[in-house]
Amino acid sequence: MKAAVRHLLRNRRRSLLTLAAVIVPVYILVLMYGMVSGEMRGLFDGTVKLRTGHFQVRAVADRPEGGALPLISTPQPLIDLVDSLPGIERHVVRLDLPALAAEADHSQGVLVQGVSTDQKDPIADLVTSGRFLDGDGRSAVVGEGLARLLGLSIGDRLILLGSHPDAGLGVANPTVVGIFSAPDDTLSRSVVDVDLPLAQQLVRQPGAATAIVGYVKGVDGPWDAWKIERAVTTLRSELPTGYEVLDWRELSPDIDLYMRIARPIMTLFTGIFFVLGGLVVLNTLYLSVMERTRELGIIIALGASRRQVMRMVFTEAGLIAVAGGAIGALAGAALVFVIGAIGGLRLPGAYSGFMKAFGMQPILHLRVTVPEIALSAAVMVAVALLAAWYPARRAARLEPLEAIHYVQ
Amino acid sequence: MSNSDQLIRTERLEKTYRTDSVETPALRGVSLDVSSQEFAAVAGPSGSGKSTLLHLLGGLDRPTSGEIFLEGVPMSGLSRDELARLRLERIGFVFQDYNLIPVLTVIENAAFVLELRGVDRRARTQRAGDVLAELGIEKYASQFPNRLSGGEQQRVAIARAVVAQPAIVLADEPTANLDTEASLGLIDLMRRLNEHKGATFLFATHDSRLLDRVRRVITLVDGRITGQTTP
Repeated sequence: MKAAVRHLLRNRRRSLLTLAAVIVPVYILVLMYGMVSGEMRGLFDGTVKLRTGHFQVRAVADRPEGGALPLISTPQPLIDLVDSLPGIERHVVRLDLPALAAEADHSQGVLVQGVSTDQKDPIADLVTSGRFLDGDGRSAVVGEGLARLLGLSIGDRLILLGSHPDAGLGVANPTVVGIFSAPDDTLSRSVVDVDLPLAQQLVRQPGAATAIVGYVKGVDGPWDAWKIERAVTTLRSELPTGYEVLDWRELSPDIDLYMRIARPIMTLFTGIFFVLGGLVVLNTLYLSVMERTRELGIIIALGASRRQVMRMVFTEAGLIAVAGGAIGALAGAALVFVIGAIGGLRLPGAYSGFMKAFGMQPILHLRVTVPEIALSAAVMVAVALLAAWYPARRAARLEPLEAIHYVQ
Repeated sequence: MSNSDQLIRTERLEKTYRTDSVETPALRGVSLDVSSQEFAAVAGPSGSGKSTLLHLLGGLDRPTSGEIFLEGVPMSGLSRDELARLRLERIGFVFQDYNLIPVLTVIENAAFVLELRGVDRRARTQRAGDVLAELGIEKYASQFPNRLSGGEQQRVAIARAVVAQPAIVLADEPTANLDTEASLGLIDLMRRLNEHKGATFLFATHDSRLLDRVRRVITLVDGRITGQTTP
């Protein structure tokens, strides 16, 4: 070990360059993990909070793409079933239906979301002026985009003309009590939250719903999706005929697809840096072996086995890899920590628009776990040891006499 | 000399170097016995095959034909790894150019063979320290070889060769790079180790001034043994 350190110190500049080549991929991988995890959490939060929940129980029906969900006339047994499952944090009863929202001479097609106010709806957190629904059955909360389109302010009356294939047309005239700001412009323009009884009034079926939206305890991001899957599996086994349960992946297949491909693509991208780092390690060790041919010949002549000679080369590779891996991983983790401490990473224009389109805030809250940090460093150590294989093998196969008489 | 004393025996040892179509015979039918606790020199002019003989005896090279027996074991049947183990456990080497490992200190160089053998740090440091003291170079223990004179470096090389108490120490022109005083001093040192510790030495030299200090001189000319004398 001591000898390996001294060998590395022999040519400090080359060793430092090699160290840098090891540090950079690990640093980038840790940052990549932080960014991807942050982005995933943003996507997940935007999706499950504002759109899908962790899962939804619905009535089974054939319906056209984007059409109204079938009505569940007596949702209480389903609510009781969801609440009885272990690990369920809460539920929201929803009645969604397409409607026309109008004020004076302006109108806009919207999705009316009737929500039960006994359980907190995520949109309540996004209200920027006024208040959220209080269950009086006469109120509505609209997005900033819709308020701007229809010229609505707090206290204005809104005409909602609902249309549901199971119930025909219905009209309601709620008062706008709150305006919410959604990261997604589409959501801001097209969603009207109303008390559940008001939505039931639009379909003229008191007590009806279109979905029971469930939330599972202890879910902090997509990495906890297994908890949702576990709950959904249990629920599926107990669900009566005529109903289905869909998890967030099935409810947002585009988000699911993006999440599935984002990490492999970025890993592949980062892999290029690892390959380059490995090549630099290989080059350094190969040159080192060439320079020390005579010395290695003496070591072999004195009786070192091939395994011992290979171990000497691997020790040097391991030292560089462990030191570089640790520095890269700690530096990456430190940057993630600093970005977290200053409130996240504000993204530039084009990327910000992309994030908003997916219902996410244009600020990345980086997140990296200890296993991810350790994995980043471990991958580099593995790459470096792999890269050391060829020079180590060459060193071990030297013929002692030829090596001793080797002249550079 | 009884068979039990016989350390090395060679039978009609031949070594021919081939370069393209040119064949250069270096050893021609060398048969030789070396006994335990001998202090012998292989003498002869440059190109007579002294180094080649030592390399073959040390398992650093393989003969073209003939056989070498080390402690009765034929070396021709040994694999590369088995030869390495044999060198590690039974043979000590001293090279003309000292060939110390530059990144190791004097004591680490002296203890290197013990390290290869897997001896723990404390034991090998203790043993190497004792050998350095015997050779009068313990004061250089923590220095790196490049700070030492040629004679001192060669003493370290001898320490490395004898530290693991091998069956034989093969020294290839150990005094070639030393002045007369250092050369005679080194040979006396080796002889002392032979007399007091029972170490077997076989060294190659073309320096006739050293030959009256050995017990046996094997003379090689053009790859053939032309004489064996006891001064």
